[in-house]
Amino acid sequence: MTSIKWIVALCLFARFGVLAGSAQESPYFITYDHHMEEPGNLEIEVSSTTDVPRSGQRFYFAPWTEFEYGVTARWTAELYLEGQSTWDDSTIFTGWRLENRFRPLKREHWVNPVLYLEYENINEADRIQKELEGGAPDVSSPNSVLRSIKDRELETKLILSSDVHDWNLAGNFIVAKNFSQSEGVEFGYSFGVSRPLATMASGSNCRFCRENFSAGMEIYGGLGSTHGFGLHDTAHYVAPVFAWLVSDNATLRFSPGVGLTHESSPVLFRFGYSYEIQGFGSKLSHLFGGKP
Amino acid sequence: MSRLRIAELTVVLTFLSTVVGQNPSYQLDPDWRPSEEAARKTNPLAHKSQAVAGGKKLFLRNCAECHNQDGSGILKKHSADLQLAVVQAQSDGALFWKITNGNPDRGMPSFSKLPELERWQLVLFLRTLQPPSGGP
Repeated sequence: MTSIKWIVALCLFARFGVLAGSAQESPYFITYDHHMEEPGNLEIEVSSTTDVPRSGQRFYFAPWTEFEYGVTARWTAELYLEGQSTWDDSTIFTGWRLENRFRPLKREHWVNPVLYLEYENINEADRIQKELEGGAPDVSSPNSVLRSIKDRELETKLILSSDVHDWNLAGNFIVAKNFSQSEGVEFGYSFGVSRPLATMASGSNCRFCRENFSAGMEIYGGLGSTHGFGLHDTAHYVAPVFAWLVSDNATLRFSPGVGLTHESSPVLFRFGYSYEIQGFGSKLSHLFGGKP
Repeated sequence: MSRLRIAELTVVLTFLSTVVGQNPSYQLDPDWRPSEEAARKTNPLAHKSQAVAGGKKLFLRNCAECHNQDGSGILKKHSADLQLAVVQAQSDGALFWKITNGNPDRGMPSFSKLPELERWQLVLFLRTLQPPSGGP
């Protein structure tokens, strides 16, 4: 690359690279609260789910990438790309999902509702377990069998969330319909509570200050379907959650979940790293000659 | 145009685009008003000047992208010039309410995800924003 190209590249980086910021994210992996992505911001997150298998089951690693974009202050859209790798089996792409969250009310209230609509095009080998609805996922069959079973699903959630004295309390109620299989309409839930470890910012740019950490707890699981509503044959987890704001634009999250029923994995580990780019939409539009 | 000229122009435009764009013509949204009770709230950190530094950090992290690093606003984003008298004349409670609730229809997000005291730190920092001498 010539030196002039280097200068131009450096300037482009300076213009776009410094846009990163404001990554104060909730520590939840499963539960959604009412805080939306800031308009025009893009958050890229790489996460994974792994478990401690029961005897006869194989260890798996299920990573996913999430692109979360603030379309407006009351509408956030997300695209997921998902995969899975099973020990002594194979590594496969398991599908994608597109989700939208809408906040109907303009102002903050005691309870803030958010409407969630998602379309997923995945297969039965998908194991990220981003939400649990209906029965427990099949973790025993080989990928070659599971990947051929399609899951085209429409999912809705009612998200209710409240901020009370720096605590966030959130509950999600899930209804999903799989168009590929006759499973009826499936149900699920998740609840979360979290709090930052410090409620005032220090003046210094510290990485390990308490203000950069938040912690909480999630509980989530399936509630069967219209063919059999209830806890029978469903997986449920209780999971502490931790988040660390590593820098202004990056957050690390971790959650060890403990299975509560025989259908659950004994332990689920989740890791996530998210990076936020501020003003992504307007800068991209500007780059292609659009009006700001 | 020579390659050197293009490089020079890129450098100049890059830095100008981050500096230019104040919004002194900002006008308040008449529909975006707190209740009297919310406007009357006082800042619990009002006498803790040491909390301003934390407020500045939060401002740069959460607000500067739209309001500029000096709070002067950005014209093309229609964001408020926080140095203006019309903004500074508002009570602490009103500014706190605006940070908490946002004005989603005008693009201002809610920052209720920040702990309450951090939002008051932001209000404390906003009070330090002044137009440059000779400015509006």
